[in-house]
Amino acid sequence: MSQIGSFALLLALALAAYSFLGGLFALWQKGPVSERVGETARRAGIATFAVIFLAALVLVTCAFLNDFSIAYIYHHSNRDLPAPYKFATLWSGQEGSLLFWSLLLSAYGFVLRLRYKTDPRLFAYASVVIAAVQIFFLLLLNFAAHPFALMQGSLPDDGTGLNPLLQYPEMVIHPPMLYLGYVGFTIPFAFALGALAMRYPGEKWIHITRRWTMVTWGFLTCGIFLGMHWAYSVLGWGGYWGWDPVENASLMPWLTGTAFLHSVMMQEKRGMLKTWNMWLIFSTFMLSIFGTMLTRSGLVSSVHAFAQSSIGDWFVAFLGIIFVVCLVLYLLNHKHLRSEHKLESLVSRESSFLFNNLLLLVACFTVLWGTLFPKISEWVQGTKVTVGAPFFNRVNIPVALLLLLLTAIGPLLAWRRTSLESLRRNFMFPLIGALIVGSILVAFGMKPWQDQSYFYSLMTIMLAVMVALTVISEFVRGGRVIGRHTGQNIFASMWQLARRNTRRYGGYIVHFGVVVIVIGFAGSAFNQDAEKEMSFGDKLTIGPYTLVCETYTEDDNANYGSQWAVMQVYKRGAKIATMTPERRFYKASQQTSTMVANRSTLAEDLYVVYEGQNQDTGRPIIKVYLNPLVMWIWIGVWIILAGTILAMIPNEQAQAVAARVAAPARLAQAEPVGAGD
Amino acid sequence: MRKDRCTRGKGTASAVPNGDAFGWRSALALRFPALKELRGFSRKAFSCALLSVAILTFLAADSSPARVNNLGHRMMCVCGCNQILLECNHVGCSYSDRMREELVAAVDRGDNDDMTLQWFVQKYGTTVIAAPTNQGFNRVAWIIPYLVLALGIVMTAVIVRAWRSKPLLAHPAAVQPATGPDLDRFRAQAQRETDL
Amino acid sequence: MTALLFCAMLTIAALLYIFYLPGTLRLGPEKTRLSYLRERKDAVYENLRDLNFDYKAGKLPEADYQSMKSSLEEEAASILSEMERIQQNAALRATKIKTTRTIR
Repeated sequence: MSQIGSFALLLALALAAYSFLGGLFALWQKGPVSERVGETARRAGIATFAVIFLAALVLVTCAFLNDFSIAYIYHHSNRDLPAPYKFATLWSGQEGSLLFWSLLLSAYGFVLRLRYKTDPRLFAYASVVIAAVQIFFLLLLNFAAHPFALMQGSLPDDGTGLNPLLQYPEMVIHPPMLYLGYVGFTIPFAFALGALAMRYPGEKWIHITRRWTMVTWGFLTCGIFLGMHWAYSVLGWGGYWGWDPVENASLMPWLTGTAFLHSVMMQEKRGMLKTWNMWLIFSTFMLSIFGTMLTRSGLVSSVHAFAQSSIGDWFVAFLGIIFVVCLVLYLLNHKHLRSEHKLESLVSRESSFLFNNLLLLVACFTVLWGTLFPKISEWVQGTKVTVGAPFFNRVNIPVALLLLLLTAIGPLLAWRRTSLESLRRNFMFPLIGALIVGSILVAFGMKPWQDQSYFYSLMTIMLAVMVALTVISEFVRGGRVIGRHTGQNIFASMWQLARRNTRRYGGYIVHFGVVVIVIGFAGSAFNQDAEKEMSFGDKLTIGPYTLVCETYTEDDNANYGSQWAVMQVYKRGAKIATMTPERRFYKASQQTSTMVANRSTLAEDLYVVYEGQNQDTGRPIIKVYLNPLVMWIWIGVWIILAGTILAMIPNEQAQAVAARVAAPARLAQAEPVGAGD
Repeated sequence: MRKDRCTRGKGTASAVPNGDAFGWRSALALRFPALKELRGFSRKAFSCALLSVAILTFLAADSSPARVNNLGHRMMCVCGCNQILLECNHVGCSYSDRMREELVAAVDRGDNDDMTLQWFVQKYGTTVIAAPTNQGFNRVAWIIPYLVLALGIVMTAVIVRAWRSKPLLAHPAAVQPATGPDLDRFRAQAQRETDL
Repeated sequence: MTALLFCAMLTIAALLYIFYLPGTLRLGPEKTRLSYLRERKDAVYENLRDLNFDYKAGKLPEADYQSMKSSLEEEAASILSEMERIQQNAALRATKIKTTRTIR
């Protein structure tokens, strides 16, 4: 089996190389021969997908067949591992996840190469870029991190098993989502680089890539939040974001990608910021490669990072090459990125996008800076320091609040310029609403002068209300106009409104989701926890809840042994639930992990952890957290997803227009664009 | 291995408001020494400042469990798990249990925050502090993000100004503006075609 | 042995797919000025429609609306006029070719 896998990887490398060189030749040379070569290069790209898919299939099959002669399978699987997790072995270690990266990239490339008729020339350029990235990963797989490397010496009987932290249902979908996000940014990058190389006239390429970018962004968002949810439910420390380098690695491209999604609108609508957008997407791609490197090379210490290895050098070299290629192409073609319009006013949608980009990039830089500072400190002063959550929170919260403020103001500003009169007209309602909510909260005891965290919470909630009211007022106003025309009721009108301009109103729904999430974050200022050794009948009180320990149980199966507590939960005297926090001991890996019992409501999470037994008394230790508003975070993510999907649906109007205007394409044969020089 | 824990104190569970999930309160406490510098001010200003600082910090520095909670969130567990000391939850993590006991002991002794942290740094090295300190090169860690934000704002402002004042360089594919009767005719056409 | 055979077959299948009867990749003509202008026109029209819509929704004061509308319309007019020029030229050329043919 392993020979087939190894061979498939080599073959894939050859095919990708051909796809790259052949594609390049076809773009460079004109004539019937090069057109034939171009077609074979496209097909080679498609075949790369099939062959890499085969390699991945072989690896997973080996996991299912318990083929421990392959070192990777030995280290990441064992006989008693449940079937879904055997699938997950593909992305649970270094070599496998690089193979998975490569597979997803080739899958994206596959779809792109099938849809090449949208704009054959642009797609041919993009295909070449993708093949180049693919070559890098296949080189890595073949020569630096071979997933099919064999075990030395005598064959082991059983593997060392999958890391128990990863044996959780969400872990089966979290890495694929995150990787789809990471890898997906290759596509907009490939289109952007292609458009720059071919001096693409106009902004249509952005229109073509828009959906790709949104899909990618949606996947990355999902991946990040699934990771948060996983950390919350598995790691058992009562939180969801620990500013670990690997979490940071996924956040950075998300921040620049979000910036790109916004500023690209300026290019599409007004022909501005072209250079900026180009570099924004270049950096997003480089950050996702950098993120992969952080995760895989052991550059910084992290819970997720794998052992120190040499592949870091490969990544550094690759990043260097990308940068040089981008820079050279930019210097050659920068004239074509000149702006078509001037910025007319500081108070305009355009400048709000500028500041939005600025803040997102500052946040991204801060995260990068904090992640790398331990290294920098080691170089400069010779001592290691820790840069943990307190640093990131303190530095990023003000930036996040400013960003939230812009989210509230931005959509209300008109393109080009906004007069004071218009500002007053649009802004009064959200501002008054936020002030009312703020004063109610203060009246109900959220005193911002008592504690800085309360102050930040209050600001967050007020700004969130402002954003929500902005979104609502946009929907209601637009809905009224439609309603006047069609006579429908306001909800039907709002639905039609969203269908007419899916991107705008989908975007607003995403903003609304962000509001919901941010309110969830603000809840963390009011977290409580309590801990107690509990034997039968003992009580523990936290907030309005009382937990009574009923019994302890043990269980054992082939994969793990477990202990759990059965707790009765009372709220203000009435019994409301039975909860069973659990602790597992995984046999193959000889590691423990917690299974948190969590009773989640809109108001708060009652989060119970079985921490283990006191070795002296033998009594179990139970830790309880009362975390307000956490559920809002997960609800918000669903709203964001809904908004993203809505934004990807084509406009109703645009479809109709496209059908009408399909005809006059015949005259378009004559003069090429004046932009050819 | 696991004996008494800070929050468990004397056998009874005490729910400590763990309002420091984002480290805000710790941030405030970092600035606490600034009070000393207030001596030169007029009495009125001083008492006003003292009053407001006292109000602001009255949750941050009162009872000893709250101090333990605050300090424990400013340090890391050194076992390699990369977690905040009070959030480290490995059973049998020999470090975090011992460190928590040491922390409770230090607070009970009456050591102030700086002394306590210093004690931990001496014993476990500089990496035990969860965020860079405000001294020497470590200050750079704090300054740079704000500096970048400030620079970014200035840069954006400069760029915006430049854009507004400088004429546009001609785009290679620019469209010539329409003039005369053409202008009116096509404007009318555009108006017709974009009317809702 | 079977593995070797499988690998050989895989290679052959890939090569057949890639090189057997591949046809040509038609990159299509370079984009014309006209289609570029049409895209620009669509963008400006969309901006105009959005502007009209926002005005009707009560987001814009009358003065702002009128000035922005007129500058967008000017932009649209420039594009439309160049489009018409190109189309007239093309039509002119087509008739010329036709007439020369009929004379012959």
